[in-house]
Amino acid sequence: MMISTLNSTLGFHRAATAQQAGLRSEAEALQRQVSTGERLERPSDDPVAAARLRALDRTERLAQVEETNALRAREELGAASDRMADMASTLTRARELAVQAANGATSPQGRAAIATEIASLRETLFSLANSTGSNGEPLFAGQGTGPAYTRAADGSVTYTGSGAPGELEVGPGIAVQRGIAGPSFLSFDHGGTTSDVFALLGTLEQGLRGATGDPAGAARDSLPGFDAAIAALGQGQTVVGTRLAWVETVETIASQMGEARAEEATAVGGADLAASLSRLQQVMTALEASQASYARLASLSLFDRI
Amino acid sequence: MSGNLLQIGQSGAMAARAALELTGQNIANAGNADYARRSLALADLTPTGTVAYTQGFTAGSGVRIDRVVRSDATILFAQARQSGSDLTRATAELAGLQEAERSVEQAGVYPALVEFEAALGALRSDPLSPSLRSAVIERGQVLADSVRVGDSGLAGAAERATAEAQAGVASLNRDAGELVRVNEALLRAREGTSGHAALLDQRDALLGRMAQTAGIAVEYGQRGVVNVRLGDASGPFLVSGTTAPVPLSLQPQPDGTAAFTLGGAAVTISSGALAGHGQALTELRDARSALDAVAVQLVTTVNGAQASGATPAGVAGPPMFAGSSARDLALVLRDPAGLATAPAGAGAQSRSTANLDALRATLANGGPTAAADALLSRLSQAVAGRTVTREVLATVADSARAALSRETAVDLDAEAADLLRFQQAFQASGRVIQAAAEIFDTILGIR
Repeated sequence: MMISTLNSTLGFHRAATAQQAGLRSEAEALQRQVSTGERLERPSDDPVAAARLRALDRTERLAQVEETNALRAREELGAASDRMADMASTLTRARELAVQAANGATSPQGRAAIATEIASLRETLFSLANSTGSNGEPLFAGQGTGPAYTRAADGSVTYTGSGAPGELEVGPGIAVQRGIAGPSFLSFDHGGTTSDVFALLGTLEQGLRGATGDPAGAARDSLPGFDAAIAALGQGQTVVGTRLAWVETVETIASQMGEARAEEATAVGGADLAASLSRLQQVMTALEASQASYARLASLSLFDRI
Repeated sequence: MSGNLLQIGQSGAMAARAALELTGQNIANAGNADYARRSLALADLTPTGTVAYTQGFTAGSGVRIDRVVRSDATILFAQARQSGSDLTRATAELAGLQEAERSVEQAGVYPALVEFEAALGALRSDPLSPSLRSAVIERGQVLADSVRVGDSGLAGAAERATAEAQAGVASLNRDAGELVRVNEALLRAREGTSGHAALLDQRDALLGRMAQTAGIAVEYGQRGVVNVRLGDASGPFLVSGTTAPVPLSLQPQPDGTAAFTLGGAAVTISSGALAGHGQALTELRDARSALDAVAVQLVTTVNGAQASGATPAGVAGPPMFAGSSARDLALVLRDPAGLATAPAGAGAQSRSTANLDALRATLANGGPTAAADALLSRLSQAVAGRTVTREVLATVADSARAALSRETAVDLDAEAADLLRFQQAFQASGRVIQAAAEIFDTILGIR
């Protein structure tokens, strides 16, 4: 029996072309990896890694929104904190005036001047309580969109906001109250009844103008109210300050998590430059060698010898 | 006697010359994939009934050309056909799946869903802001568009696969008709002639092409006439001898898949490009219905949330999306003030985000985003798996084809050796004629 030792010429050329085309397309894929830095061209190159990358991209995108929200919350809480500090100094100044008015040595003219200043301080407090954030929304109106406090024709001031301020997501599963509602730091308990700073200053002003007949006594009576009001405001400032600090902590955590995500995305879908380049070199060498040997073999023909 | 020697020399020279011509023919067809190598079978020429004055000795009268032998490898050819059918099936199926993957991926359905979610998340920071509300509406528009683009990409892929299957059916029917004519010609041609061998080449080329389109089984009859069955040896006849072929036809189904009938009777095609296109059409149909499910889920979730919430005007929100499939998904809410962010009964101008939060939670947990992710994962997994299958089948098909070509194809080095051999045989026969002439001259020269 004769063993067939024929080598099909057509088959040889076809196989050589197919091998070189394979090497070439592998080299091109590696080149693409090196130039884009991405290991995956299509999801089907590595379905599991592609699914992970999709999830990471989604988390990253939602985290960007949370980051913007956190920035916003920080701005609003910061603005609220500044306004509250202004209120505190206003209230402190009013208390000083009340102490001064309570002094029997103060002349009636002096008390009248003090009453005028108290009225203007009350005006300052009113505008501070109605101050708005960077986007024009009231800072202390809870979920309401109108002004937090409104003044009636008789000069009395009432709270017109509603509800607790909404929560803002600042991190994955972490929400923070974006502000503080007016009554929680401007109202206080005074002698068993709930009062607020506007009523306190209004009553004091009326008393100094002689509504009760004892201006100095009215000033003295107002002092415990001032102490309660300043305490309530201080408490509110602490709450806002704590929230502000919390937002900053969350921002730090979020940026660390973002870094971790970026690292994972690179590990899952990024091309390892060193490995890709050395593999590319290897493939190029194989391709050159196969081209050279193909040229040598193809030029080897018995017809040259006849 | 010298006359006989002259004739022997002449027949040898003629045989060598014919062999040289056949070698030349082989060399000329070295690049022809359908050509099977030929060789010449020779037989000696022995006269019977000569007068036995040399006491029974006769050297014969030379050589004659018996037949042209065409190298043939029926089993290897069947293997090459079978593996070729499997490879074209896998290739067609993979092409359809890749197109499905590309359609969904490039339409950006998943990123659009994420952007929509992100816009809802941003709206949370200031639910009454007109600019953030507009962003949600715009993202909704992009989302509806990309779902529609994805669906039309899938529909286009299905159309192309159907058209290719139609073309495959037409080419198979044409080849079957051609094969019947070849069968007729084979019956007329004399076996062992160059003409018969050329017809066999033509027959094998047709069989190879038919196998690429649909898996076939071949039965060999006398004189190289073939019967072809669809599928395996128990399948229905596609070509039977010289009777007119049974036409194959494709019926597009309402759901986008394809069904085949042979002479009116339904048939299943399990290999070849037609089978691959059929499988691709099924995959594309599944992908489209998955995308439809994503669209329906989006419409139900978002519209449900709109209806159960309150807009800044304090009334229930109108539907945001419309449509019952991916093809007709559309954004119908154009007014940013129509987004219901607050819970029902919250009153006008409420900054509450309770309803928005509920919608975001529904979207995040097993919502359309997860469904789109599952669709993409399934498609990419299928493409990755089928790519491996195709590579394996390509290797099998390559080695089967290499084995076949080792048996039947032309080796130029072998032909060069033959060329030398027959050239020498020709020269030797020339010497025989010369010797006969010299003997004759010697006899004539006796005085």
